[in-house]
Amino acid sequence: MNLHLTDIGSFVMSTLLGATPLILAAMGGVLSEKAGVVNIALEGFILAGAFIAVSAAHLFGGHGWVISSLMGILATVFLGLIMGMMHAFLTQRTRMDHVVSGLGINLLAMGATRYLYLHLYPNGVEVAGLDRRYFLVAALILPFLVQFLLVKTRFGLKLRACGEDPDSAVLAGVSVIPVRYVAVILSGILAALAGAYLTLGDAHNFSTDISAGKGYIALAAVIFGKWNPFGATGAALFFGFFYALQTRLQISSIVIHFWGIDLTNPFLMDTLPYLMTIIVLASFVGHTKPPAALGRQEVL
Amino acid sequence: MHRKTPISFRPIASVLSGILIIVIFLAASGYNVGSAFSALWIGATGIQIAPISFQPYQLAQSLANATPLLFTGLSVAIGMKAGLFNIGAQGQLTFGAFATAVVGFSFNGMPAIIHICLALGAGAIAGAIWGAIPALLKSARGVHEVISTIMLNYVASDITSYMVTHSLKDRGSQAPQTAAISKNIHLHPFVPGSLLNAGIFIALSVVALSSWFISRTSWGFRIRAVGESREAAETNGVPITATLLLAMALSGAAAGLAGAVMVLGQEHRFVKGMSGSYGFDGIAVALLGGNSGLGVTLSALFFGGLASGANNMQLLTNVPDSIATVVQAVVIFFAGVRSPIFHSKRGIKKMINTRTGQVIHESPPD
Repeated sequence: MNLHLTDIGSFVMSTLLGATPLILAAMGGVLSEKAGVVNIALEGFILAGAFIAVSAAHLFGGHGWVISSLMGILATVFLGLIMGMMHAFLTQRTRMDHVVSGLGINLLAMGATRYLYLHLYPNGVEVAGLDRRYFLVAALILPFLVQFLLVKTRFGLKLRACGEDPDSAVLAGVSVIPVRYVAVILSGILAALAGAYLTLGDAHNFSTDISAGKGYIALAAVIFGKWNPFGATGAALFFGFFYALQTRLQISSIVIHFWGIDLTNPFLMDTLPYLMTIIVLASFVGHTKPPAALGRQEVL
Repeated sequence: MHRKTPISFRPIASVLSGILIIVIFLAASGYNVGSAFSALWIGATGIQIAPISFQPYQLAQSLANATPLLFTGLSVAIGMKAGLFNIGAQGQLTFGAFATAVVGFSFNGMPAIIHICLALGAGAIAGAIWGAIPALLKSARGVHEVISTIMLNYVASDITSYMVTHSLKDRGSQAPQTAAISKNIHLHPFVPGSLLNAGIFIALSVVALSSWFISRTSWGFRIRAVGESREAAETNGVPITATLLLAMALSGAAAGLAGAVMVLGQEHRFVKGMSGSYGFDGIAVALLGGNSGLGVTLSALFFGGLASGANNMQLLTNVPDSIATVVQAVVIFFAGVRSPIFHSKRGIKKMINTRTGQVIHESPPD
């Protein structure tokens, strides 16, 4: 097999693009989980963001791709804000189990987007879209911003305190619930933007299963990266690398057999992020410490 | 998950708000609410009011839909009794279905009843193994079961997809599926054309048996004790690891049986993607049913009827049937809300006080 520089270039690019939505959503996951709120709602945020981005862009489709995409992004940010607020409200004000709330939000997003899609666009929907590289640049800058926010700002300190020891945070004068609201709302916006990448950036249309578990993989990246923005980004890039490899192997028809098992099979390669996450969690216990108060409801 | 507060009105409130959501969606999108609702009602119950008539097919389909939900709802409920959130019913169901299909097509000429028992047993065991893994990971390595079960769902779906496209692929077809199971062990439909079969009786008996096991046996008591308070149970000498393993194995077995019955009664083979979302639906079933045997039964019937009603509504009035998923979400929200809406005034007062930053020290409502 001859590797050319352009090949390597395109392989790196497809790795980066595969990781882009994962990084966006994973940064949301880091913020929310660092503040102590379990976030399996990322999947629902992504799906809802994907839908609203394409519908808003389609609504303004006649005004050129700039306006159309801009409106798509604005609508995505707005819906991400609303949905993040919903998760924050349910987990903080009504003290619902964080996983239950997340599952409910995921189901709501699944049902509502499919309903609206079939109802509004019986013949499908197409948009001009936005260059994927804008999203990529955002995804590469974002981890630095999140790290800065978490480590260098007063708000970041408060946020981490809410996730580690909310009772002490309260005694130190931090209003835990508002801080968590902000964190979860940010996670809603970022994950929804990951959804906008999938429709505006990548597919230029919508399909009802477009999120395809990316929210859960982003959550896996958060854990794999030990709740650290750079770690999570690294994990997302690692998963993106395997997506790119998967695609490349399918095209090149290379087959590697091991004990009669076709290791290059796309289904088997697909298990990798999931298995890695379990292995990392199982083997690094003691080193991998989730935020101490993650998912605790009896806070305050 | 356990609450001492009387919650008998909560399921009713959940269901009513679910119905309200349907009305809002229908009205907002300009459908005729009356005709859509009558299609939903007939699809769920088979009873047409004016002119009065009964369509057994519709009711049979509702009950057929409820069959796997009885199992997966039970699966999630058993996990919750032990304080574990089993989101993995989906993967356990998939492996159960797969194992049943393999046993189903591997033997021929065996007495039907033995073969059926073997096939069901294989499904239950496969589900139990897939359920036991998160319990092992939890007790040995402290891996949270929510994360491991989410991951294992994907792994189960990927591995079975690999199998039915490779070594265990049906040679007579291009489709990603296994060979057909022996005709001997089909569960035949009660109402021609429908999917309702003896599976529902298997499901109901398993639910009853599990209810009895959880509430009347010493191991059931241990499971509940661990679910109430792991520390207290440990202090009193309950073996935590064994109890968690047992609970998750039972939970997985129930989900595996869902897959087994689907293979024997509906698909007659394992087909890639046949698990649908029954495993996830089980979460809503268990939450609405308050994790009790009777509750799970009623709520599986409700969601089974809802699915089949929504299907009929889509056929007759073009309303997308995913409205049923939205109802599930609403039910989950209502079932999951803790204080203050469903609790005392103290809860509300406390909420106001935390808003101003003032903390009142009092015990949480449950």
